[in-house]
Amino acid sequence: MSLVYALAIAVQMGCGVYLLLSRHVVRIVLGVVLLSAATNLLIFVAGGLVFTAPPVIVQGTQTLGAEAANPLPQALILTAIVIGFALVAFAAALVLKTYRAVGSVLTSGHTDAEALGSPFDAEATRNA
Amino acid sequence: MSFEWSILMALAGAAIARPAATYLGSRTGWVMALVPFLIFLSLFQHLGTVAGGETVIAHLSWVPSLGVDLAFRLDGFSLLFALLITGIGTLVTLYAGAYFADKPHWEIGRFLALILLFMTAMLGTVLSDDLIVMFVFWELTSLTSFMLIGFDAHKAEARKSAIQSLLVTGGGGLVLFAGILIIGMELGTFSFTEVLARSDELVASPWIGVVVVLIMIGAFTKSAQFPFHFWLPNAMAAPTPASAYLHSATMVKLGVFLLARFDAVFAEVPAFGATLVVIGSTTMMIAALQALRAEGFKAVLAQSTVASLGILVMLIGLQGEVAAVATVGFILSHALYKAALFFCAGTAIHATGEASLRKLGGLARFLPVTAVAAVLASLSMAGLPPFVGFISKEYLFEAQLTNDWNIVPVAVAVAVNAVMVGVAGVVSIRPFYFKSHRVTSVKHGETPGLLAGPLLLASGGILIGLFPNAIGQSLIGPAASALYGSPIDVSFQLWHGLTPMLVLSFAVVAIGTAIVIYWDAIHTYLRQQDGLYRLLGDRGYHRVLDGVLGAARGSTRLLQNGDQRRYTSVVIATVVIGLAIALVAGPAAISIASPEGALRISLVLVLLLTAAGALATVKARSLIAGLVCVGIVGFALAVIFMLNGAPDLALTQIAVETLLVILLTAVLLRLPARQKHSRTTSERRRDALLATCFGGVIFIAVASMSAIPIDLRLSDYFGETSYLDAYGRNVVNVILVDYRAIDTLGEIAVVAFATIAAWALLRGSAARPGPKE
Repeated sequence: MSLVYALAIAVQMGCGVYLLLSRHVVRIVLGVVLLSAATNLLIFVAGGLVFTAPPVIVQGTQTLGAEAANPLPQALILTAIVIGFALVAFAAALVLKTYRAVGSVLTSGHTDAEALGSPFDAEATRNA
Repeated sequence: MSFEWSILMALAGAAIARPAATYLGSRTGWVMALVPFLIFLSLFQHLGTVAGGETVIAHLSWVPSLGVDLAFRLDGFSLLFALLITGIGTLVTLYAGAYFADKPHWEIGRFLALILLFMTAMLGTVLSDDLIVMFVFWELTSLTSFMLIGFDAHKAEARKSAIQSLLVTGGGGLVLFAGILIIGMELGTFSFTEVLARSDELVASPWIGVVVVLIMIGAFTKSAQFPFHFWLPNAMAAPTPASAYLHSATMVKLGVFLLARFDAVFAEVPAFGATLVVIGSTTMMIAALQALRAEGFKAVLAQSTVASLGILVMLIGLQGEVAAVATVGFILSHALYKAALFFCAGTAIHATGEASLRKLGGLARFLPVTAVAAVLASLSMAGLPPFVGFISKEYLFEAQLTNDWNIVPVAVAVAVNAVMVGVAGVVSIRPFYFKSHRVTSVKHGETPGLLAGPLLLASGGILIGLFPNAIGQSLIGPAASALYGSPIDVSFQLWHGLTPMLVLSFAVVAIGTAIVIYWDAIHTYLRQQDGLYRLLGDRGYHRVLDGVLGAARGSTRLLQNGDQRRYTSVVIATVVIGLAIALVAGPAAISIASPEGALRISLVLVLLLTAAGALATVKARSLIAGLVCVGIVGFALAVIFMLNGAPDLALTQIAVETLLVILLTAVLLRLPARQKHSRTTSERRRDALLATCFGGVIFIAVASMSAIPIDLRLSDYFGETSYLDAYGRNVVNVILVDYRAIDTLGEIAVVAFATIAAWALLRGSAARPGPKE
């Protein structure tokens, strides 16, 4: 079973990286989404997937039963999902703003920082 | 007053120099010279104590946790240096006041502030007992000399020379620092006194070779020894008062000071003395050749300074009492005559605006007193009786002859000293008495400030020569004893009788006179030897510097070319390589064959769906289709969570995924729908390869990870205590809001910040005009 998990994670991550390398900003964002989903799954798998009962303490007992799933990775992933969403939402806003300001959705069109040139030539550029 | 306060006094002087100059105007030099003079006097009081062979130690705790103390040490040797630093510092301050008389007053203030700061650093270096404290002051001398050499910052030449000297001496300082740290590691102390006392322990340590080499490099860079001899002549770009101070009395002698200090520690290291003799002799020869070749008044003096430093390094390499006395005597006599000659050169150059020796002549008519001072100083430099230079040269030869070295160093010393005689003759006679038609007018005459320095120093040279015993008992004896490590009975005499040394002196003077007479011919011949010059000059330095700058430019162009894709590729490739190395070299075994556990068909299908969704995202040409595929992956993930006992995760994932799809669709609607490939075919192929490598490494890592038993202690702890301590039955929720509450707060803060940032980005932008294109 672990090999299937490993395969799924690896394919998702590989696809995420391929998208991340694109010059299209939306595809970069999609790559980030895939990568964070795959990472969540990786954490999930790392916690060991032996038991499938939800980690809830049954009424009448005071400790978690032996059959319950590992609660720790779940807590970590819950945080990660929300933060991943915040990241993508911000990235989407940035994409929109950049497109409106620069008029391009390709990173090759976002050259304002490079167009500043060397700081040592600043005087010459300003005079030109 | 205790002697360590002299450093603080000098610092205070540096602080007030600039404001004082605004009030005092042209009198600044005379008033500010009181600062070094008072320090000189206060140090002078210790002469009696130190002459008795006593070593005064002052102690202030500074960084006790690191074993670093503000410890200062005054013995005969450091007192000699401190007196030279403050004595010549007084004259330099005086001279600078007059030298800058035609400049704005604030410029005098700026210069004097730097000079006094430099003096502070120098005093600190020679008086420190703690090696770390000494290193701090040592680097401070590099920094202040950088500022002094680059004082005329509007001149490209000055800036270049300043950077060169900083790179060489500052870099050498770092090497020295490494040596000091190793000493501290080996002996557990940074106190020089203790290092000296436990030198046999240090010599027995396996690190001794490294320590010796590191300290020698530090000293050689500072004292411009081969192969670092090139920076000092270039440092002549400094204003002449600074040159006189930096290159005669003080800074360049720090390397000599350091070597002399450690001579007692390293005495048992076999190659130490021999290396010093070889390096010193090499430097002497190179500098002598360069001195004959140099054109500028100051350049000739600078090259002869390098030669003198070579002599000192060689003398430290020699063993015995005589060598110690010769070292100390030569330090003193060289400081006196070289500072005087620099002052004279400065006056001549400043008055005529002409720096080349070949264009100067007949200046004695306009600058008579300077000319006399120059002649007196150069007679001492030439080593003629009754000047102190004669005595120190006799000791130099005696030190060589009493050591069992072969004849080569002696021959080198004779040749180099002959060149010194030649230089002395050339710099004193030619510009002042020769070819009187060359200079017909000067911009200004002599002023008291310009004369005080050279006259005092030059007459000091003859006075010490005539009455050597007074200074021999009180200053040279204690200094040589401190250097030698045990008391020496010094008889610093003018007349030694008919000795082999006297014969050598005669030879030196004879050859030197010939050099003076044939200087033009020798000079012209040497100037034609370009190959020689290239070999001896600073070409190596420029090669290294250009190489470093070129590498920096190249790597910047390679790594920071403005293409986001390349940056990402570099990061991804690094991660892949790092992971691969960790997998291969790490403690856990690589295992991709762990098929334990039954396959759950439903789960396998959903997992394959995530993989298919991811692949489809890549394939999809339309952004909306890509978004849909990403959504599929997300919802499939929620199902995986559901099937493995994580309903909370599944719920959150579904909610977030829904929001995400809505949000991204809203954004996509505002972007151009058409999508061409943003990468060329070969770029896509390369990226696919990189992505496959990344996926492959991840696959192996995850598969291997599954084979490692899981540490469940923390999970068990949460499971056992959730209800009892936190009264919650849903363990995941308890972890989030109780055990890791601060993390959850951070998570909420991230969401809040993202919201604020997105709002700030998009607010009002709809009202703005559309895209430029």
